[in-house]
Amino acid sequence: MSAGTYVALLDGGKREESLRVERIAPGLYEVTLRGVTHRVDAFRQDHGTVSLLVGTESYSVQLDERGNGVRVHLRDSVFPVEILDERRARMRRPPGKLTAEGRVALTARVPGRVVGILRPPGEAVREDEGVLVIESMGMENEVKSPKDGKVAEIGVEVGQSVECGALLAIVD
Amino acid sequence: MPERRPIQKILVANRGEIAVRILRTCREMGIRTVAVFSDADRGALHVRLADEAVHVGAGPARESYLLPERILAAADRTGADAIHPGYGFLSERADFNRACRAAGLTYIGPLPESQEAMGVKTSARRRMQGAGVPVVPGSDGPIADEAAAVAEAERIGFPVMLKAAAGGGGKGMKRCDRAADFPKLWQAARRESASAFGDDRIYLEKFLDGPRHVEVQVFADEHGNVVHMGERECSVQRRHQKIVEESPSPVVDEPLRAAMGKVAVEAARAVGYVGAGTVELLVDASRNFFFLEMNTRLQVEHPVTEMVTGIDLVRLQIEVARGGRVPAQDEIVRRGHAVEVRLYAEDPARGFLPSPGKITYLRIPGGPGLRDDSGIYAGWVVPSHYDPMLCRLVAWAPTRPQAIDRMLRALAEVHVHGIATNVHYLRAVLDHPAFRSGAYDTGFCTAFAKELLKPPDPALEPIALIAAAVAAHRRDHERAGEFATRAHAPGSTWASAGRTRAMRGEA
Repeated sequence: MSAGTYVALLDGGKREESLRVERIAPGLYEVTLRGVTHRVDAFRQDHGTVSLLVGTESYSVQLDERGNGVRVHLRDSVFPVEILDERRARMRRPPGKLTAEGRVALTARVPGRVVGILRPPGEAVREDEGVLVIESMGMENEVKSPKDGKVAEIGVEVGQSVECGALLAIVD
Repeated sequence: MPERRPIQKILVANRGEIAVRILRTCREMGIRTVAVFSDADRGALHVRLADEAVHVGAGPARESYLLPERILAAADRTGADAIHPGYGFLSERADFNRACRAAGLTYIGPLPESQEAMGVKTSARRRMQGAGVPVVPGSDGPIADEAAAVAEAERIGFPVMLKAAAGGGGKGMKRCDRAADFPKLWQAARRESASAFGDDRIYLEKFLDGPRHVEVQVFADEHGNVVHMGERECSVQRRHQKIVEESPSPVVDEPLRAAMGKVAVEAARAVGYVGAGTVELLVDASRNFFFLEMNTRLQVEHPVTEMVTGIDLVRLQIEVARGGRVPAQDEIVRRGHAVEVRLYAEDPARGFLPSPGKITYLRIPGGPGLRDDSGIYAGWVVPSHYDPMLCRLVAWAPTRPQAIDRMLRALAEVHVHGIATNVHYLRAVLDHPAFRSGAYDTGFCTAFAKELLKPPDPALEPIALIAAAVAAHRRDHERAGEFATRAHAPGSTWASAGRTRAMRGEA
């Protein structure tokens, strides 16, 4: 029978939990979390659904895998988690603190079309003020500056289509 | 009386769930169908469900679904004899309606003259005022320029609503609380309106605080019969987009229903209306009601009326277009309670940003009293060009509390992976005490914004982590099995034994 230790990163890496998983029979596991060992009967029903029995309590858990992470849907809650095995977790450096200092790139959080530039290059902008407007699915969304500063560059034109993650502007 | 216009093949000038909704009724009636699609929609469900499909242009709607000449060319090419416009896109464009008729096609909807009378929201307001129907105070017509608009807003008094003269559905609609915000909202409203309706005219209305949005379904035939089918309550709105609708409205009793129905029928008569239409009303705290606008088309939320009356509104639209008659008013009997929710591709946790992308997994529930009108499937890539609505779920039950509980049950069984949806938000809305009590207004989503965005339940976190860790362990295990298999020469007994073991998940 096999066993492994995993690290679950929560809240975008701000929090972590360690889990020891021991497979004691096909579909039967003992999982130790926060010092408590749970006996778990896990049945993978299809691509995204795992039925868990913990004691007699039945949980239908949805695992929506996205890149490195997984969004775990359970009843009315969604937990974005990244699961690493212990060795890989140790190799990873602690995530650096994200600050809005220096030059900050504004990227598109949704695919869509640039419909307006609110602050042309050279103009001052305050934190939380809109720099550009992107239209996606018929609604307009402002792309806001994360800091007080000046618009150093605008990398797109009005009318241009942009993919998710595209560089839109730089605020200095 | 024989039918005067036999309809044998309908082109559905729309996409997504409404195209699917219309195609289904056509199929039931034995009418052949033509779908149209843009570059972004080749793989869409409506293309698959139609008998024929014609490509009409590029992804952005104004380069495809909003081009009347492309739609007419598609009808000509396929020999369609009727056009159903659905809602949105060209559904409120009198010029398109006229062009269809000029091309010898039956337009499934009202006459272009009625559309013009109601379609320009401002002339509709004037006409209703003339007929003695109370209207919300506002500008007399669309406003030419920004300076004039600011002056008009000051005259009406802030807060005001900026509204698209050409359309509805929350597109091009902005609330403005003070003069300083006006220029930005004015520009945004014009752009949204131009992009959604191909028309950037804007008018102003006084913003009423805490009203309920109640609308009345009307139906008219060309023989002079006009009936109403009761109301729909649509006060649960976010950014002026309806998200939960129900019928009957908890605030409407039989005398009020009769009064509203009478006004709605008068409004339809005043413009010589034929077909399905909706009269939108604002109801204040003292249950006075004001005419807001008349939508000269089917509404997204039409199924709640279908569920309580048992009438297929799309079928009736087609029958009326053929020259048929609407049922008599006393034949329209309402029964039980229906609740509808709109499942949107948007992420409540990220400020409701749209979430287009590939649906990697999808489960939509069934069970007693539930209806699903959707335009999606697992594997479909939701395009960023169009409205984010994925599907409409409707629950029916004998009473309002049962209908709410039924919808809560159904939503708990909805699973969409790959993109974010508002499913948990919808559950929070339905389960909120203010919604359950029925005492809510259009300010509901704003007033309870915090309570409706619940953080994940910490009590469930251990279970979620256990599930994720077990899945990770299982995957590592399967991989180890694969490596073991590959290590052996192909064809050897050991290799096939390893493969069998790996497939059974026992490696």
